[in-house]
Amino acid sequence: MRIGVFVCQCGTNIAGTVDTQEVARRAGNLPDVAYATSYMYTCSEPGQQEIQRAIREKNLQGVVVAACSPRMHEPTFRRAVERAGLNRFMFEMANIREHVSWINNDREANTRKAAELVEMAVAKLRFNQPLFSSQISVNKRVMVIGGGVAGIQAALDCSDGGLDVVLVERKSSIGGKMAQLDKTFPTVDCSSCILGPKMVDVVQKDNITLHAASEVESISGYVGNFTVEVRKKATYVDWTACTGCGACIEKCPSRKVPDVFNENLANARAINIPFPQAIPKKATINRDYCLHFTKGKCGTCQKVCPTGAVNYEMQDEIVTEQVGAIIVATGYDLFDASVYGEYGGGRYADVISGIQYERILSASGPFGGHIKRPSDGKEPKDIVFIACVGSRDASVGRPYCSGVCCMYIAKQAILTRDHLPDTRVWVFYMDIRAPGKNYDEFVRRAQEEYGVQYIRGRVGKVYPKGDRMVVQGNDTLLGVQVEVEADLVVLATGIEASAGARELAEKLRISYDQYGFYMESHPKLRPVETNTAGVYLAGVCQGPKDIPSSVAMGSAAAAKVQALFSRDTIETNPQVALVNERVCISCGKCIQVCPFGAIQWKELRGGIRKAEVLPSVCQGCGLCNATCPPKAIQLQHATDNQILAEVNALCA
Amino acid sequence: MSGSNSVPVTEQGMKIVGFLCNWCSYGGADTAGVCRFKQPTDLRIIRIPCTGRMDPLFAAKSLIYGADGVLVSGCHPRDCHYAVGNLYARRRLEVLKHFLPFMGIDPRRFHYTWVSASEGQLWQRVVTDFSEQIHQLGPNPGIGAESEIFEKLGN
Amino acid sequence: MFENATKQLRETVEAALPELNTVVGWRAGYDPLHMTPVFIKNAGDLSKLEWSPFCVQNLSGYLVKDPAVRAQDPSKKIGICVKGCDSRSLVALIQEKFIERNQIHVFGIPCRGTVDWRRVMKLGPLTGIQSARVEESRLVVEDANGGHTFALEDVLARKCLRCAHPNPVIHDVLIGEPVTPRVAVENSYGEVERMEEQSLEDRLGFWKKELDKCLRCYACRNACPLCVCQDRCIAETREPRWLTQRVGTSEKFLFHFIHALHLAGRCTECGECERACPMEIPVTLIKEKLNKITLELMSYEAGMDPEAVPPLLTFNPGETGL
Repeated sequence: MRIGVFVCQCGTNIAGTVDTQEVARRAGNLPDVAYATSYMYTCSEPGQQEIQRAIREKNLQGVVVAACSPRMHEPTFRRAVERAGLNRFMFEMANIREHVSWINNDREANTRKAAELVEMAVAKLRFNQPLFSSQISVNKRVMVIGGGVAGIQAALDCSDGGLDVVLVERKSSIGGKMAQLDKTFPTVDCSSCILGPKMVDVVQKDNITLHAASEVESISGYVGNFTVEVRKKATYVDWTACTGCGACIEKCPSRKVPDVFNENLANARAINIPFPQAIPKKATINRDYCLHFTKGKCGTCQKVCPTGAVNYEMQDEIVTEQVGAIIVATGYDLFDASVYGEYGGGRYADVISGIQYERILSASGPFGGHIKRPSDGKEPKDIVFIACVGSRDASVGRPYCSGVCCMYIAKQAILTRDHLPDTRVWVFYMDIRAPGKNYDEFVRRAQEEYGVQYIRGRVGKVYPKGDRMVVQGNDTLLGVQVEVEADLVVLATGIEASAGARELAEKLRISYDQYGFYMESHPKLRPVETNTAGVYLAGVCQGPKDIPSSVAMGSAAAAKVQALFSRDTIETNPQVALVNERVCISCGKCIQVCPFGAIQWKELRGGIRKAEVLPSVCQGCGLCNATCPPKAIQLQHATDNQILAEVNALCA
Repeated sequence: MSGSNSVPVTEQGMKIVGFLCNWCSYGGADTAGVCRFKQPTDLRIIRIPCTGRMDPLFAAKSLIYGADGVLVSGCHPRDCHYAVGNLYARRRLEVLKHFLPFMGIDPRRFHYTWVSASEGQLWQRVVTDFSEQIHQLGPNPGIGAESEIFEKLGN
Repeated sequence: MFENATKQLRETVEAALPELNTVVGWRAGYDPLHMTPVFIKNAGDLSKLEWSPFCVQNLSGYLVKDPAVRAQDPSKKIGICVKGCDSRSLVALIQEKFIERNQIHVFGIPCRGTVDWRRVMKLGPLTGIQSARVEESRLVVEDANGGHTFALEDVLARKCLRCAHPNPVIHDVLIGEPVTPRVAVENSYGEVERMEEQSLEDRLGFWKKELDKCLRCYACRNACPLCVCQDRCIAETREPRWLTQRVGTSEKFLFHFIHALHLAGRCTECGECERACPMEIPVTLIKEKLNKITLELMSYEAGMDPEAVPPLLTFNPGETGL
C-alpha cells in the first residue's frame, strides 16, 4: 500500500508543543509510507487540496492525517480523500491535538507520542479495506413521544410536511404543562388560547394518529425502520363511543379524588376529563378511587352514559407502530418543594408551588381565577415569592438553573397586582435570569410599574404565625435580616427530568446526563439530534427551557425528520459486522449477545447453519466480534487485525 | 519507535495502551483536551466503538508483549451507546483483572473504568492517577520474548 | 471390584442399544494401565466395553469433534458413558447448543477417581505390565518384576483428589451407587490458593518456567471437549493473526491466555488438557483459577445447569462491586 501522512500544525495549536516536521520525518520511515509532510491547516480548503494533489501525484492508496480528534474532522477528511478517488475508509486519523498538544507542554515527549500515534494509525491503515454503503428504504412515518407544546409543534410541522405522524401521550389529554398555565411571559397571553387551537389541530389532521393515555413499551429496529410497541392503558371508557358530554362525571359519587390537573387544589371525580379543553375530550376512570373497583358496588357511570361507553372489563392493549424516525418530547416534572423542610412546602396549606399558583390564577382553575389562599379561601394581602427552589443548589442535587422561574415569578407577580391591586408582593431571588427577547424589560415592569419588591437574598425559614406565614431571609444588598409576614408563600419550584425519562432513554438507546436530561449529539452543532440515528429531541426533555425555545426545538426536530425523509433510501453505515462463513463454528454466541437482534442463522445445504449479519440492523458495536471464539465475525473497520496492528505498533 | 530505541525507558516514559470507546471515553478524553487539562504523556489511545468490542485478549496481549499499563474506559453502566456492551465488558474485564496476577502479571498494570464524554476533569484524574501508578511500578518486567528451551535447542 | 460395574454397564448398554446409533465408551488399551475409547454399534462389540479407574478419557468431546460420530442417523440417539466430571462437559455443550439433550442417551457412572499412569510410573518404574487392578484404596500392578502395590491416593489424577462432583449431574441411567464427594466446590481450589500465596515474582517465574516448556503442539486444545473451534483456533490463523509462529515465551503465554480466557466461565475442570500435555505443564490449574474467579464474582459453576447461561455471555445491570 502507498500511504501518505499529513501532519497538521493547526496553526500553533499543535505546532506549539509538537515538532510536526519531526513527526512527519519519522512517519516517512514507516513501512508503506510513500509521502509524509506537515501542513499549517490541513482541514482548510488548500489543506484538503494538498491531500488530493498528493493522492494523485504520489499515487497514494491510503491517507493518514495527524491532527485534531476524528470526532471533529474525520468526516471532512473522508470526503476529501473520496473526492480524490479513494474509498473513504482508506483513511485514518491520529489525534495529536486533543490527546497530545493540548494536554502537555513537554515538546519532546509530545513529539514522541505524536509520532507513535501516527505509527499506530499507519499500522492500522495497512489493514484497512474499502467499504461500501448500501441503501435501505425509509418508512416515512414519524413517532412523536410526548404531547406537550414541543411535541405538538413537532407533530404539526411533520403533518404539514405531509408526513404520517403517530403522537403518543402518557396522560389522557395532550397539552402538557403549558395547558396548566394561566398566562405566558412576557406577553401575558392566555396560555390555553394560544395552545388550544394547536391541540385541536392535532385531532383534526387526518395524518396524525393520537395515542393518549399510552406509553412506549418497547422499541426495536433502526433509523428508517423502527418498530415501536405502544401500551394503550385501560381507561375503562370506550373512547370511540365517548362523546365527552360529562354526564358520568356529574353523577360519579366518588368526589374526593385529588384533581391532578389542578395540582391537588381541588377535588375531581373518579371518572374524569382533566380540563374543559382536553384533547381528546374523553373520560377516564381512576381505578384507585372508583367505587366499582375499590368496593365493587357502584356502576353509576355505566348507567348514565348515553352511549354505553363505560367498560369496566377493559384491559391494556399493545399496538405496534412502524415508523422511520422518532421525536422525543417527554417534557419535565417539577421539583418536590417539600425537600426544603425549612420552607414548609407540603406542610403548610398556604405555602404553595408556582404551578399551584398558576392554577389559582387561571379562570378555569379551582377558584375560578379569583386569588384565594388554599387554607381558608381568604384573599391574600401580602404574598412572598421565593426563587430557586430546587434550582442552582448543589445540596439538593440540582446545581443547574431552571431558566424559567425568574420569568414566571415576574409574570405571577404582575398578574397578582393586576387582579388585586392592593396586595403587596415580595420576591426573594438569588440573581435575575432574564436573557430572552423582552424578558428583562418584563422583569423591570414588575419592579417599576407594578411595584413588586425584589429582595436579593436567600430565605432561611418560613413559619406560621397566627393565620399568616413569616418569611425570614437575608437582604444581601442591604446586608440586613428581613422578615416579611405574608398570607401566601409561593415557591418557584425548578425543573427536573420527567419521571421515567431514564427508562425511556434505555428503550431508545439514547444517553442522558446525571440529572436525567437527554443528551444531544453535540451541544452546539447538533442540538436536536441524539447519538442514535433517527431519534431526535424537542423541548425540556433535553434540558430546561421556556415555551418559545421548546416550540423552536419542536420545529427543528420536525425539520430534521423532513430532511431525513426527503430521500426514499438512506445509506447504511458499512462499519458493521461481517461473518466469514468458512471460519464460523456455528456456536451462536454472537446471536446470543447481539443487543440489536442483528445476527441470525443462515441455513446452508446439508442442514449446516452459519451466523449471518443483517447489515441494516447492525449498529457496529463489535460485541459479537469480542465474543466469537474463532473470530469468524469481524467488525469492519475495527477488525482484530486492525486493532492488533495498533497494539503491535506499540508493544511488539 | 524509529530513532528512539537508544533512549532509556524511564526517559522515554512508560508505554500505556488505552482502549477507549468512541462514544463516551474517547469524547471525554477530547473534552479534557479542549479544556487543556494537563495530563502525563505516557498514554496511547486506541479508539474502539464500544467496550463491548474489547476482547480481554487485547489487554492480555499488550501486557504480555511489554506494555507497562493498559487502561480501558467506556460509558458508565446503563449509559452505553449500544445499551449493554459495557455490561458484558465489565464482567470480562473484571475476570481478567483477577486472572492476571495468577499468571504473574501485576494487576495494577491493568485498569478499567467509566468516563462519559462530558467528564473531561474525571478523565484527567484517571489518566494522571494511572500514569503515576505505572511510573511507581516501573517498566513491565514482561514475559521475556526469548524461550530458554529454544535457546537450548539452538545450542 | 470393577468387574461387577463393567458387567452392569454392559447389560445396561445392551438394553438401550437397539434405540441408539452408537455408544461411546472405553475398552482395554495397549497395556492394563491404559484404556482407549470404543464405539459400540452392535451387541457383538459389547464385550469390549469396560469400566474401571483407568477409564480416564472424557468422551464427550467426540460428540462435537468427531465427524463420524456427528454424521449419524439423526433419528437415533447417541449413547455416551460419562463420569461425574465428564457429565459437566455434556451440560456445558448442551448450554451452548452444540448438542441437544434429547439427542443423547447418557450412561452415568459415579466415580471414585481415575488413575494417573504418569504418577504410577514415577513411583515405580514398571516394565511389561501384565495386570493392574484397584482394590479398596490400593492399586496393584503386576509387571515383569512381580507385584507392586500403591496407595490409591498416590496415583489418582490431580483432578480426582479435589473432585467435588463425582456423580454425573445428568444421566439417563446411573450405573452403580452415588459416591460422596471428596470436597465441596468452595474447598476444591487448594492448589490455586497455594499459588495465590506466592509472590507475584514467584508466580511469574513459575509460569515462565512451565509455559516455556510448551511446544505449541495444541494437544491440550484438541483434548478439550469445549475447545470447539478446532482448526479455526485463533492460535493458528492468519486472519486474524493473533499469534506468529515465532518460538518465544510471550507467544506461549498468549496461546495459554487465549485457551484459558476462551474457557472462562465454561471450563468444567475435566483435566483433559493437562492429561494430554506431553510436557506435563499443569495447564488445568490456569482454568481452575478462572473458575475460582467466576465462582467468587458471579457465583457460577460451569456445567451444572443445562438451562444456565455462561456468565461471560450475559450480564447483570444491577451487579455492583465489579
